[in-house]
Amino acid sequence: MSPSEPGRPPARPPAEVDVRAELLRAVRCLAHPTDQARGSTSDLSIDEALMLHSVGWEPIDLICGVSLESIPYGVWNWGSGEIGAASAAQTQAVQAAADRLREECLSVSGYGVVGVRVELEVHRHHADAVLVGTAVRPADAKRAPASPFVSDLSARDFALLASAGWEPMGLAFGTSFVYAPRRSVGKVLSQKTQNVELTNFTEAMYSAREAAMERMQSSAITVGATGVVAVRVEEGPMPFAHHSIRFTAWGTAVRPGPSGHRRIAPQVVVSVNDARSQFEASALRD
Amino acid sequence: MPDSAADLPEAVERRLRSSAFTSGLSVNDFAACLHMGLRPVAFVQGFCVMQWSWYGAGSPYMRGANPYSGRGGRLYSESFGCPHGYVGSDHRSWGQNFEQSWTEDAWGLGFGTAYRRMVEEATEAGAHGVIGIIDTSRHLADMGVVEFHLTGTAVVVEGAEAPPEVWTTYLAGQRLAKLIEAGFMPVSVAAAMASVRVWDVCVTEYQLRGQAYTGSVGMRGGFAGMANRSGVGGPGGGFSGRGFGGGLGGYAVGGEIVQLGRAHTAARRVAREHVRSQIGNDTLHGAQLSVNEREIGEGDQEVTCILKGTRVRRFKDFDPLPAPRPTVTLR
Repeated sequence: MSPSEPGRPPARPPAEVDVRAELLRAVRCLAHPTDQARGSTSDLSIDEALMLHSVGWEPIDLICGVSLESIPYGVWNWGSGEIGAASAAQTQAVQAAADRLREECLSVSGYGVVGVRVELEVHRHHADAVLVGTAVRPADAKRAPASPFVSDLSARDFALLASAGWEPMGLAFGTSFVYAPRRSVGKVLSQKTQNVELTNFTEAMYSAREAAMERMQSSAITVGATGVVAVRVEEGPMPFAHHSIRFTAWGTAVRPGPSGHRRIAPQVVVSVNDARSQFEASALRD
Repeated sequence: MPDSAADLPEAVERRLRSSAFTSGLSVNDFAACLHMGLRPVAFVQGFCVMQWSWYGAGSPYMRGANPYSGRGGRLYSESFGCPHGYVGSDHRSWGQNFEQSWTEDAWGLGFGTAYRRMVEEATEAGAHGVIGIIDTSRHLADMGVVEFHLTGTAVVVEGAEAPPEVWTTYLAGQRLAKLIEAGFMPVSVAAAMASVRVWDVCVTEYQLRGQAYTGSVGMRGGFAGMANRSGVGGPGGGFSGRGFGGGLGGYAVGGEIVQLGRAHTAARRVAREHVRSQIGNDTLHGAQLSVNEREIGEGDQEVTCILKGTRVRRFKDFDPLPAPRPTVTLR
């Protein structure tokens, strides 16, 4: 079931909750063990958990996927074009980590993973990818899908996306490492006292950007998505090889659900709070 | 330190009997708690300073000793075989990943003792629960000495009987109110540390240096008792990578560093299993996971993972809030 499909448990109408009475009711449960069949773990905040509940989903387990890929010796030596071995290593690491996250999600009967923290590191001889998130499912889930989704969207964004009729498909990822070619000795000397653009670095950045963005879009198409939201990029020279430019992009691949896009129509509100939020003694002299 | 409240320092007992209450809550949280019917009674704390003398340099569990003869590998241990045969005395012809249960026990003892002391003060003050817990741990002057410190605000639930045990939570104020409103009651904080030691096998060494290598490592072991749930365990364990499984047929470079990947995965899963053993069939809410990796010596690493959160119990049926209405603010 996608989050945009009907069939989720109906949410109760807004009502004033007597928290004091609820607390008295809650403390009584401490005298008895839970009747849940199995415990669950989640790194969602209470706000995120409530947002997830409001669209009929619930957390199952905190899960992770890790992969480290070796980068061969010598690839960071000065050259030209793309540093293919480094690009491949980081891509493989992310793919393997996402695959493991998906496997673990399936093992707990999850429909997908939300709030995935994407931790990427590139060292001289290895590229590391660590993905940690919470496996989720609809509260009335019957059977998990064959291929759960992986999304780095927060539970809040996941719920909002569901309200708009869209569904996450997976993590889209692309990266590229490119050498900034050497300038000739003559060029270095002629530019030494000038304020000029170093086109070798600019071109390397553009080259890495294009390759990485294209790979990210291709990976989104591979999982059947029509676009990528919440794209994040990391770019710049490698700290241990300043002539090597890295561009990495990732985001959540999405597509419209079976009922298509739904307009959310947010309500426009105006805050009537006083602009001055704190008392300032100096204001008395104005 | 004995668990009995009668063994609290005399000054603590005298202070807790004072008519003035103390609280570590912010004014916002204080107001929210009063609204819920929670009355602060005391700002409570627990300390414990631990020395880990068997940890790191000088450890009896140095490379060359078989951890299987010790207490290692309670949930996870795995060995990695060299495909090359005898090459030389400095060749790492075997490697191991194993859970350092003695380190985990020491961390658990330090955290647990500080926690018990905090709860002991709350009990002495006649509290029903402790909210807004903040826990810190830091290395003192020596690397082998760690201080655990927990603070929180002991509260009484107005109009309720004292629970069988003092309940505790990291939450306070509106976040606690929302948790209750959503149908969950905090039971206790839950925290655990997992420690996995990595002794590199030759192929891992070559990969970490970016060098070419031949052959594939053989793996034995995995997660004890976790294979069915995690899907990772047993011989081979479900990990695959380029450069592995190819026998001795030619050189390879790159490929997945399987041994380190499995160590990192194991540290996180073992921490989760430790916490799971504490929460029973309840739910762990708002988990925080932090991982640290350090190199003890050449080819000798340690991956530690700390997982903590609030154990909560559902006291009413699934009762979702209305879907929040999106708004746009005009400024």
